[in-house]
Amino acid sequence: MRIRLMIALGLIAALMLAACGTTPTVAPTAAPAATAPTAMAAPTAMAAPTAMAAPTAMAAPTAMAAPTAMAAPTAMAAPTAAAAGGTGTVKIGILAPITGPAASIGSEQLNFGKLAVEDFNKANGTTYELVEGDTQLDPAKATDAAQRFASDSDIYVVVGPAGSQEVLAVAPVLGKVNLGMISPSATRTDLTEQGFKNFFRVVPRDDVQGATDATFMIEQLKAKKVWVIDDQTAYSTGLRDVVVQALKGKGAAVTTESITQKDTDFSSLVTKMKADLPDAVFLPWQLANQAAVFAKQMTEQGVTSTIFGSDGLFSAKDFIDSAAGATEGAYVSNFAPDIKSIAASKPVADAYQAKYGDFSSFGAPTYAAMMVALEAVQRAEKSGTLSRETVLAELGKTDQASSVLGTPIKLSSKGDVENASFFLFQVKDGKFVLVTQSK
Amino acid sequence: MQSFFNQLPQQLVNGLTLGAVYALIALGYSMVYGVLQLLNFAHGDVYMIGAFVGYGVLTALAPKSGLLAPAWLIILLMLLAAMLVCGLLGVVIEWFAYRPLRGAPRIAPLISALGVSFFLQSAMQLLFSANFRTMKTELLLPPRLGLDIGPARISAVRLLVIVGALALMAAMTVLVRRTRLGRAMRAVAIDREAADMMGVDVNRVIVTTFFIGSALAGAAGVMVGLAFTSVWHYMGFTAGLKGFTAAVLGGIGNIPGAMLGGLLLGLTESLAVGFISPTYKDLIAFVVLIVVLLIRPTGLLGAKIQQKV
Repeated sequence: MRIRLMIALGLIAALMLAACGTTPTVAPTAAPAATAPTAMAAPTAMAAPTAMAAPTAMAAPTAMAAPTAMAAPTAMAAPTAAAAGGTGTVKIGILAPITGPAASIGSEQLNFGKLAVEDFNKANGTTYELVEGDTQLDPAKATDAAQRFASDSDIYVVVGPAGSQEVLAVAPVLGKVNLGMISPSATRTDLTEQGFKNFFRVVPRDDVQGATDATFMIEQLKAKKVWVIDDQTAYSTGLRDVVVQALKGKGAAVTTESITQKDTDFSSLVTKMKADLPDAVFLPWQLANQAAVFAKQMTEQGVTSTIFGSDGLFSAKDFIDSAAGATEGAYVSNFAPDIKSIAASKPVADAYQAKYGDFSSFGAPTYAAMMVALEAVQRAEKSGTLSRETVLAELGKTDQASSVLGTPIKLSSKGDVENASFFLFQVKDGKFVLVTQSK
Repeated sequence: MQSFFNQLPQQLVNGLTLGAVYALIALGYSMVYGVLQLLNFAHGDVYMIGAFVGYGVLTALAPKSGLLAPAWLIILLMLLAAMLVCGLLGVVIEWFAYRPLRGAPRIAPLISALGVSFFLQSAMQLLFSANFRTMKTELLLPPRLGLDIGPARISAVRLLVIVGALALMAAMTVLVRRTRLGRAMRAVAIDREAADMMGVDVNRVIVTTFFIGSALAGAAGVMVGLAFTSVWHYMGFTAGLKGFTAAVLGGIGNIPGAMLGGLLLGLTESLAVGFISPTYKDLIAFVVLIVVLLIRPTGLLGAKIQQKV
């Protein structure tokens, strides 16, 4: 009995050390997810210290100690600041899927956010800080992180979250404490129709994306039969509806199907598609690596329909590299241009590449969104009263003549950016190549 | 109607692949339930660790510069490594989380199993981050390589999964029917105390059962990793659930039942996706389970409940 106990404690200590040793962003994901489970697992191992039969009341404190000890070494000041009344530092929160199924998108968003804060501080002599919140693209975890931000009185504005389903969960939580939020990637059309007074975004809406994609499929790809497969998230179903309507309006035959984000075997669906032989298959999915698996299974069965993806698929690492050639020739629409080709933004692109490596399309809008947020905070400070309400008001007044995206950013009263367009890319020779731009 | 018959062979192939994997996982559930009357909820996560081990071996033996060994050897090594690691993991879990609770009421080891499941998931996430990993199967088996049987195409990797799983299941059946260890396992499953009194080393049988069941899960993990390429820390949840369903469908505790249940579940899912809709595939699979249990409460091949007079 004793040996087992020793080994159990040793293992848990080793894991906690591993958690402290790895990057802080890893620990917070484990802490919320593991808080409940470790409390359940702990009694089996830790009940023994009292050498009695599982006195769970006594085991509970030790069980609770483990998760908080795991949460402590994170970069988030939130737990400590929540207890205090605020430390006087001005902080901006960022909600992104830093780990999880969309981690390549989230880590890029986070790193661009960090770069933006550094650049802004350097240019303006400010000392604003960034606080990370990992959402794993899950509305439940996003809500957790948002609540932590809400209770940290040093945080005046939030950049993110990334997914439209997360916005629906998080906006009311942040709205209750008047925290403004500006998303660099949530494109579902009706997010700005819900009456959220605190939601803004720097990317265009899916009614633009859907119309652009449908027009391209019909006019350029000459598609007469299209399959539209959604992944049942708010973003996906919203975009699906727009595209299906636009396609049908132009006379194409449309078949719709759904999968879930947990699926890895699409072979039966591919077989079903093979019997119908559509010209194009539209995948408004959030997870690029899932789409890569789908493409691979299409190749396996010899289905040659053209794949057309929406912005969720725009990840070179997940959509091209992991597909081993199966996605060659596929089209992907996206809400941001490649900033390496914009002269004024090249310094930012170079700085990012020097520090973090290559990037795809989700980072630049995050940089832009962070700049909007930082400028709103600065204007609120200069006006005399820095509070969440004044920052929120300043966000609504955003009217930047230029941004890292190469376009001006003027936010409408509903939270949308005016005159934004979508960009269409194709996978050629293992790289995304710009084909055309909407509007 | 024409499209039905066109699609059918391919859907059967798809279903067989899935079913073979479910059968391997279900076997582990049934074996452990047979000897311990315990539902080992950590089984799905052992399968997940098998997939990670396979991924690790593949990454080590197939760097950017090229394969360090012939493809078949790498696959064999992946399977052996995963089976060994998972087998040992299963033994450790048993010793650690279930043996101290041997005499406790049945709910205690069940909760313990859940705890082990969460522990394994979170440990993998902590140690290796929550990113999806993609197994580069195309380095070993080119995607267009395969067999054409009529309108159906069995790609090389699916053939590997089906043949490999069937081979393992055949080996299991021989083990259980023809060897002394198999006889001892069946004896412990029928009546643990009586077997003990007849001179069977019960602990050793239980440990071996865990080893074999977990090794099969590890093999399933590698095969799924090769076939569907996505490896991540949460993959054990769905697979464990489906494996458990398959085991119950065939009669929990019954080894041929687990195999039958697995194959049936895989076929049901694939046919449901192909001819009804992928949105309802899980719904249909569970409805089938409910209907089967209503007609035969102990599963398809389960023992008839004895009426004690």
